[in-house]
Amino acid sequence: MQKNFIQQLHPMTKFFFALFLSAAVLIIPGHLFSFLGFAILLLIAVAAGVVKEFLGTVMKALLFLLVIIFLMQLFFYPGDHVLGQWGIFKWTEEGLNYGLTLSSRILAMGSAFILFFRLTEVRDFVKSLEDAGLPPMGAYVVLSTLQIIPEMRRHANTIMDAQKTRGVETEGSLLIRAKAFIPTLTPLILSSISSTEERAITLESRAFSAPTKKTSLHKLTKSTADRILPFVYITILVGLILWRILT
Amino acid sequence: MKSIIEMKNVSYRYPVSDDQIIKNASFTIEKGKFTAVVGNNGSGKTTLCNIIRGFIPHFYKGELEGEVIVDGKNIVDYQLGQLGEKIGYVFQNPFIQVSGVKDTVFDEVAYGLENLGVEENEIRDRVKEILKLVKIEHLQDKHPMGLSGGQRQRVALASIIVMNPDILVIDEPTSQLDPIGTEHVFDIIRLMKERGKTIILVEHKMDLIAEYADNLIVLHEGELVLQGPTREVFADPRFGEYNIQYPHVTEVALHLQKNSVKLNYVPILDEELPESIGWTSLEESAHD
Repeated sequence: MQKNFIQQLHPMTKFFFALFLSAAVLIIPGHLFSFLGFAILLLIAVAAGVVKEFLGTVMKALLFLLVIIFLMQLFFYPGDHVLGQWGIFKWTEEGLNYGLTLSSRILAMGSAFILFFRLTEVRDFVKSLEDAGLPPMGAYVVLSTLQIIPEMRRHANTIMDAQKTRGVETEGSLLIRAKAFIPTLTPLILSSISSTEERAITLESRAFSAPTKKTSLHKLTKSTADRILPFVYITILVGLILWRILT
Repeated sequence: MKSIIEMKNVSYRYPVSDDQIIKNASFTIEKGKFTAVVGNNGSGKTTLCNIIRGFIPHFYKGELEGEVIVDGKNIVDYQLGQLGEKIGYVFQNPFIQVSGVKDTVFDEVAYGLENLGVEENEIRDRVKEILKLVKIEHLQDKHPMGLSGGQRQRVALASIIVMNPDILVIDEPTSQLDPIGTEHVFDIIRLMKERGKTIILVEHKMDLIAEYADNLIVLHEGELVLQGPTREVFADPRFGEYNIQYPHVTEVALHLQKNSVKLNYVPILDEELPESIGWTSLEESAHD
């Protein structure tokens, strides 16, 4: 698949941007900039052609959390300027402002990292970490953990199917499905532990601990933009910090 | 010929086991020879492979007695990483032989060479050559986790032989393959032998062992009960005592012998049957 300019950026450039945006929303007070930050992320997602997937993940991962955080702050944050009351619950201006600030910051920061993983393949990110000095063992742990999740899901389905063939009821209401799922956990966890041992041997059979410097067929290159952008982030951040100190 | 693997009175017990899985085994494997290891399930074949490869005692602890000498050096004196360059090991279960960190079969096969620090262009050339040899070129862009058992078995074999080790330990490489795939794997193993590799193969397909293996080791309940040139071991009357399958032609010939047909020798290859029972040609048998 052809990658566009944003996707082609070095993983570290994209990662630094997520960090930069997260720092910026913490430095700038209020909620307006945080919402603006989210709008910027949306524009980047549109430009990179991943807006649908990005918004889908944000909704799934953050929406519920944000609503809860906002409501909790709205109703329970201490404040004197009461805006309204419903039964024993009253909401204040301070609660509204703090709820908006906190939820908008979490929205911006969470979305920044969601967008980062939407725009960056995990293996590229891990390779960039390796290039930055992460030992091969650490890189393997990160990569294999992420790849093992779908494998475990497949394995869980296999165990469920095996139980189904033995007459265990696995379909129906939530309670029935939960009851069927719990007995799969023991074989799933035990087999995962034993497969860890097998995987270690697999790695050894592929000379993982050979006493030589490893080569890599997968290479990442840095463009001019990749060299310039981190300095732009730092300059803006320093400017923001000075602005906060001086005002 | 120079011996490359030597076992002297080797016994082994897994950490959680009360019984010895390998009991006082001694044998020598010569460089460049193809040795097959046969035995019933639970006879200790895979454990023997793990000992030769050094996973015992470097990875699996337990009690290892005796001496295992690989290329003149005791296995305990090797580092596990050094053995990775010397001995390639294809596991019985191909589903665990995928690294889990590569997105394509090409990269999966290249992984061992990357770990060995082979130069990039050479990696690409060697991987292409091996993919062609193992006939999995068409799979090179597929995800290793999405392959069938037979396909994974071929990828596992390719991933090991691409590393060009001197010794190949191969544990039931054809268990998930159809007859044509099985023949092809044996062709590759034969080719490896022609290239001077020492091969230790665990297999249940006796017809193919009879055709390809130079030597045979028979394990029974952890004991090494028979060893020697393949033909001699199959012809040994004691072989029948261990309830291990003979090559089909041998089984037919021994059945005929029981029914008073005199055997000139015990055949192990299909084409030897007429001569072994005294027929000079198949036409003669038709006249009889």
